[in-house]
Amino acid sequence: MSEAAVPANGIETGYYVPKRRILSQEDLKRFEASPVYADYMGFLEQLNQAVLDTPTRTECDRTPVIDHLVTLLDTLKQWCDEIQPDEHRTRFGNPAFRLWYDRLTERGPELLKGLVSDEAIPEVARYLQESFGNQERIDYGTGHEANFMAFLLCLKKLSLIRDEDARAVVLLVFFKYIEVMRHLQFSYWLEPAGSHGVWGLDDYHFLPFLFGSSQLRGHKHLRPKSIHNKDIIEEYAKDYMYLACIQFVNSVKTESLRWHSPMLDDISGVKTWDKVNQGMLKMYRAEVLGKLPIMQHFMFGSLLAFDGGSDRAEDEATCGDHAHVHALGQELPTCCGMRIPSAFGAAAAAQDATAATHARRLPFD
Amino acid sequence: MSSDLDTQIQRLRRCELISEKEVHQLCDKACEILIQESNVQRIDAPVTICGDIHGQFHDLIELFRVGGECPETNYLFMGDFVDRGFYSVETFLLLLALKVRYPDRITLIRGNHESRQITQVYGFYDECMRKFGSVDVWRHCCDVFDYLTLAAVIDDRVLCVHGGLSPKITRLDQIHYIDRKQEVPHDGPMCDLLWSDPEDISGWASSPRGAGYLFGGDVAAMFLQVNDLHMIARAHQLVMEGYKSMFDDTVVTVWSAPNYCYRCGNVASILAFDDHLNKEVLFFTAATQDNASTLPSRAPALDYFL
Repeated sequence: MSEAAVPANGIETGYYVPKRRILSQEDLKRFEASPVYADYMGFLEQLNQAVLDTPTRTECDRTPVIDHLVTLLDTLKQWCDEIQPDEHRTRFGNPAFRLWYDRLTERGPELLKGLVSDEAIPEVARYLQESFGNQERIDYGTGHEANFMAFLLCLKKLSLIRDEDARAVVLLVFFKYIEVMRHLQFSYWLEPAGSHGVWGLDDYHFLPFLFGSSQLRGHKHLRPKSIHNKDIIEEYAKDYMYLACIQFVNSVKTESLRWHSPMLDDISGVKTWDKVNQGMLKMYRAEVLGKLPIMQHFMFGSLLAFDGGSDRAEDEATCGDHAHVHALGQELPTCCGMRIPSAFGAAAAAQDATAATHARRLPFD
Repeated sequence: MSSDLDTQIQRLRRCELISEKEVHQLCDKACEILIQESNVQRIDAPVTICGDIHGQFHDLIELFRVGGECPETNYLFMGDFVDRGFYSVETFLLLLALKVRYPDRITLIRGNHESRQITQVYGFYDECMRKFGSVDVWRHCCDVFDYLTLAAVIDDRVLCVHGGLSPKITRLDQIHYIDRKQEVPHDGPMCDLLWSDPEDISGWASSPRGAGYLFGGDVAAMFLQVNDLHMIARAHQLVMEGYKSMFDDTVVTVWSAPNYCYRCGNVASILAFDDHLNKEVLFFTAATQDNASTLPSRAPALDYFL
């Protein structure tokens, strides 16, 4: 194994705590041509296909694994209720989120007990931990959302999720995850990570729009332009995630969709949900998986394996001489955030003068 | 030029775009004016100072309604004209056209969003691409950003800056030494002026933003004393009430984007100094956007969905 692959718990099990391996555009190119990319997109397309013409409240078979995941997500949501936001609100988001996240870090692995083998927990838990936002910056974006997909893909690789579970994975698990995220976003004012403001699809999410548009493919009378009809949104939001997302954005932003979400407004002009859904897939490849600022944080281990990238893409021990590509305002890896480990702090400071010549992270707005 | 310019101003006031060629000329002219400004531009009261606008064009028009039109009112804008909102292009160009037309009646300071890197993330770049179909307008505007001044001092008493102080700057004249005609650096004094925030701490602390610093009341007091100033006025942070006073009124935050991002529900303010430097805070809320003619035009269908 390469030196970046450190045994998860010091014992040789074949599982590894995932690491970042995409550092440069070249790494990203190799990633896009890699089997793991095909696995990820294949999984996404399978899930997308599984909810074709399928309302949210459609009954689907619940396996113990699905039940376990739903319970796990409910627990995370409950923590959010238990950990009240601080009274003192700032635009950085609410610091109480850090307490929630601490609990996730501490107890996340426990929540996986009985679901995956003990040996696999450190590897799988890492993806779960990255799925809910950045603890330092109290923000959230599509990169975190991709981590949750990676978490689910791990379970698929471990044969815990089978092909026939795909529909339940979307309707019961992924949509529950969205419910948890909405709860966190509301409670702690998570800042959109690298948001393009009104010029992006959504402040936080992508995949609910992908799966949501698939749900509407073939619908008898709901059309992309139906999103402008308040009554339709109200009546159908419960059964169609795409409409639930429109309802959400309308509820948190004032003025009309055309004002705050011109992209969604544009898409409403597309003729069919098939076209919308195909467009979402293309857009996801280009705007999420094809973007270095997002994918530089994506991690690889034994289950989602990728050897093509750069080993030093995440080696926190060499924080002092790193040359991370911290472009474009996305979440920071912890080694470059505020908490530079003291042992490396001095080295990092000494590096300051020369660091400017490297590609540097873009600070938070 | 001035009659052309007046026509452009009229069009921009109606939130209409001017041509790419006109943008180019306007930016060139603006650079000629801005290059003559000092890093710490001296301004005489009376003056009305404004915080972040972030492309909320109709709220800027509301601001002028509340504070008075330029040139009747002397204005100082403390940066962050672009990003986030819908009309960064129109907002910035209107302010720039006013600057070219009335250079002594409006001062524009650089904010942390007036940067190539930041605008590629937070919307201005996308908006330029969408409205003009090429990067040229964005490029011209970014060239202007590099010429914007870093700070202003009103009647030798009030320092105005987008973000705050820098541990590398103890005396005002140190700001003069900065070669400002560059992309905002990732660290150092120029970066700090645009990125720092006041905070209830003592001394300095690292900023959660990842650039600039947090500075305490003691730092502000020392800086004011050393430089014989009364106050620091800055923007950069959303304040729900539109205006925030800290450290015995020695540091004030002015925020001028009401209902920020069309969702924050906050009030906005501007701060008017009369010729004796008496302060009056004027508050305003989001402009109503019911006028159909001001609705943004629909863009051609996005490539992904063709």
